[in-house]
Amino acid sequence: MITLDNIVVKFDDFTALHDININVKEGEFFTFLGPSGCGKTTTLRTITGFINPASGKVYMKDKDITNIPIEKRNIGIVFQSYALFPTMTVYDNIAFGLKIKKLSKDEIDNKVRDIARKVDLSDEQLEKAVSQLSGGQQQRVAIARALVTNPSVICLDEPLSNLDAKLRVQLRNELKKMQKDFGITSIYVTHDQEEALTLSDRIAVFNNGYVEQIGTPNEIYNHSATEFVCNFIGDINKLEDGIVEALNEHGAGLDPDMHHYIRLERLHVNKAQDEDHFVFDARVVSSEYYGLYIKYTVGAFGQTLRVIEKNDGRVPFETGETVKISFSPANIMSYSSKEA
Amino acid sequence: MLKEKRFDSIFVFRALMLVFFAYLFLGFMVLPCWNTLTSIFTVKNAAGETDPLAVIRFFLAGNMKTYVWNSLRLAVVLVVTVNLVGISIVLLTEYFDIKGAKILRLGYMTTMIYSGVALVTGYMFLYANDGILTPLLVNAFPSLSKNWFTGYNAVVFTMTFACTSNHMLFLRNAIRGIDYNTVEAARNMGANPFKVLMKVVMPTLIPTLFSLTIMTFITGLCAMSSPVLLGYDSINPEIVRLAGSSSADESFPQARAALLSIILAIFTIVLLTVLTAYERKGHYLSVSKTKAKLQKQKIENPVANVIAHIYAYVLFIIYMVPVVMIIIFSFQTHSAISLKKIDFSNWTFINYFGTQDNQYLTARGVYKTIPGAISGVFSNDATLSGIKMSFFLSATAALLACVIVVIACEYISKHKKSGTALEYSLLFPWLLPTILICYSYRVYFNSSSVWYVGNQNLYFADNVKLLIIMAYVVTKLPFSLRMIKAAFYSIDNELEDAAKNLGSSPVRTFLKVKLPIILPSVLAVFALNFNALFTEYDMSATFASSYGRTYAMVIQAMTHDEGLYGFNMNASGRRCASTVFIMIVSGIILWLVYGVGARDLSERLEAKKKRKEFFVKVFSKKNGELKAE
Repeated sequence: MITLDNIVVKFDDFTALHDININVKEGEFFTFLGPSGCGKTTTLRTITGFINPASGKVYMKDKDITNIPIEKRNIGIVFQSYALFPTMTVYDNIAFGLKIKKLSKDEIDNKVRDIARKVDLSDEQLEKAVSQLSGGQQQRVAIARALVTNPSVICLDEPLSNLDAKLRVQLRNELKKMQKDFGITSIYVTHDQEEALTLSDRIAVFNNGYVEQIGTPNEIYNHSATEFVCNFIGDINKLEDGIVEALNEHGAGLDPDMHHYIRLERLHVNKAQDEDHFVFDARVVSSEYYGLYIKYTVGAFGQTLRVIEKNDGRVPFETGETVKISFSPANIMSYSSKEA
Repeated sequence: MLKEKRFDSIFVFRALMLVFFAYLFLGFMVLPCWNTLTSIFTVKNAAGETDPLAVIRFFLAGNMKTYVWNSLRLAVVLVVTVNLVGISIVLLTEYFDIKGAKILRLGYMTTMIYSGVALVTGYMFLYANDGILTPLLVNAFPSLSKNWFTGYNAVVFTMTFACTSNHMLFLRNAIRGIDYNTVEAARNMGANPFKVLMKVVMPTLIPTLFSLTIMTFITGLCAMSSPVLLGYDSINPEIVRLAGSSSADESFPQARAALLSIILAIFTIVLLTVLTAYERKGHYLSVSKTKAKLQKQKIENPVANVIAHIYAYVLFIIYMVPVVMIIIFSFQTHSAISLKKIDFSNWTFINYFGTQDNQYLTARGVYKTIPGAISGVFSNDATLSGIKMSFFLSATAALLACVIVVIACEYISKHKKSGTALEYSLLFPWLLPTILICYSYRVYFNSSSVWYVGNQNLYFADNVKLLIIMAYVVTKLPFSLRMIKAAFYSIDNELEDAAKNLGSSPVRTFLKVKLPIILPSVLAVFALNFNALFTEYDMSATFASSYGRTYAMVIQAMTHDEGLYGFNMNASGRRCASTVFIMIVSGIILWLVYGVGARDLSERLEAKKKRKEFFVKVFSKKNGELKAE
């Protein structure tokens, strides 16, 4: 659907994107994930046409759109701030693009009301000023405005970043549902890994203008391709030399020159484990009670490790208590130290 | 192909714009002022030789220094008196718990709706030797001369109360921004209320006070209407006098006027540089995340409390008496105004509308009548033409200033380097006193050899209107730029991207998306500029052309004595009515700007909904009544 072929973007002497190659499939929810300044928004703006690449091509349905003006690419955009025109009513905001296309009044009215219904905006809300709507309703207006012109692709640039945590989760679910209902190819930009993992069919993880990994949420999380990705996605323990040595003494065969990581939920506290599990004693340094789970910080081999245990109703372990930590060496992710 | 065409049209538009701004900057800011500057050093002596230092020598040897000294003295004294009164009125209405503070505030704010020549003539109506309050004051203070309201004393008195508007705007905002928790913390640590005021509250106000002090100093230095009307020899009136003089009457008057205006410019530039440097150092920033609203402080000492109340109400009386008296007298008959006594049995609109015959007793004991000699503001040809002239000049200039600045802001927001250069060029007049600009225009364009205005003498006949409009526009550019640029910068960049993405052209995006957002600010700037220019006196007095006789000049002429046989007849009545008219115009403009104009779309929609509901209710009621019948 959308293909980025060796895209390079430069701002004067600074190279913002290095040889980006991405292929977004039709109907897919594709996410650009990464920290601030990694190039994800620049990539999105290259697709939408706000930035011209120094080299490389942008294809939509195999057609080269690199030099096609923004308004002719047929791409809808939902901006970070929603960019709703504050001096227009909700109706006029949604109708803006249709008026430019010089559609008849009736046609505009039908399309606006139709899309409003689909995104759950009432007729009464259509006559309101955008400032009279809640954050969630404003998001729906922004989506309606982006979709009403029937774009081939919709690009969403961190549309949830300005909202509070509770609303973010609620709207995330609505967004996913809407995308499935409309079946439109979506490209989503976020720095929030949880958002990326819950929403996406596939994710491209960006770092310093490079794509570190493209994959499904499961591939990205459980089989991180690079040390950056494994550190950026989710919470993780880095295994220090002491523990690596101990593991190797038990035949784990870890390369001491590499960096080794294990996710928090792969460690277990005082649980009967399989034979291949590595088990050692550790002292509880602290515990945080989250209700659904408990997060322990334990000390062993001169380092601290964080462990997440599902709350199974047992009394949590006390600080200072000695516990048995176990994990399967197969869950260790190892990366060449040169990568860092 | 399409792209190239678009690129070309944008390029041509930009090039035209830059040419226009260069024309404006060089032609109407730099060259006229440069001409003024060089004229000082190109004076010819009696032998016909150029003597570059002749004017300087004249300045040092003669009495020209007096004008500078007088202006400086006025500026320094005003800094003290205006700050004293300004700080007092703000503290009394915002910080201390004074009974009736809301009414007091309204009284103290009256100078926002009438100022300049209207205010000075209003004060003259009350306090001049034949003023309505003068006999009362002389009775109350027998040692007071009935001519007390002239010269330096009168100028200081008038300007002290006239120049506190900025305190009511800026210092009031600053004091309202104080975090009350800091006051509570100081009290909690044992500080008494006076210590809290001096050690906690006042230090946070210092940056605002510093700016106000500089602004007051410049106002005092550049004072025009008060010194002219009340008779005080300061720089500006002298420049105007010299500008109208000829070398047949005195030595190189034009060059002397130029020197005085340049001296004024130097003072202004130095002061504004100091102000800018100080502002750059930064202000005291509140670090509190949850600011508590300032609560009014009770003056616990009963004696101090009574004194504070008396002081507050005395100030209120000083502010309100001119307003009340002028409003009352504007509805009084010609004879009541002449006798300076209120006739409670006889109220009239004659000072506003219509004409009346004037009957008078001649020396031969015969009554004579001059038909229609007593006329109101809107019936008197001279006054009406002044109003029309000021309306035309100020509305045109205010509109032009806004259009120029909006176009400039659009350019500045998109071009960093050339945009900065454009911004500085439009801010340039800020450094120049208005009198320098007007004087420079008057001299420089009073010739047929300025090629870039088509070799037209712009000071000749009706052309002077164009010159006044240009002066108005140029002097209003810095203020307009600062205000409108702030509005431009508040526009979310993504809005433009969104419009572009939806297929909107740059022109459509500007007209449909950006302009509606900045429009309230633009209209506010237009209204404020119009308001200031409508009663402007300093500039039109500098041009002193009968072809550009503005409303303020007409009002100033109303202070001349009324002749028995019809000359200037009922000028005092029209003066009162004019002041009321100005107050109404200013009040409406301020209401439009800060009331109606400040409403956003949601508030407008809400108001529309209420109106609709109201009409539905009214009609359904009527329908119900009809059915019942």
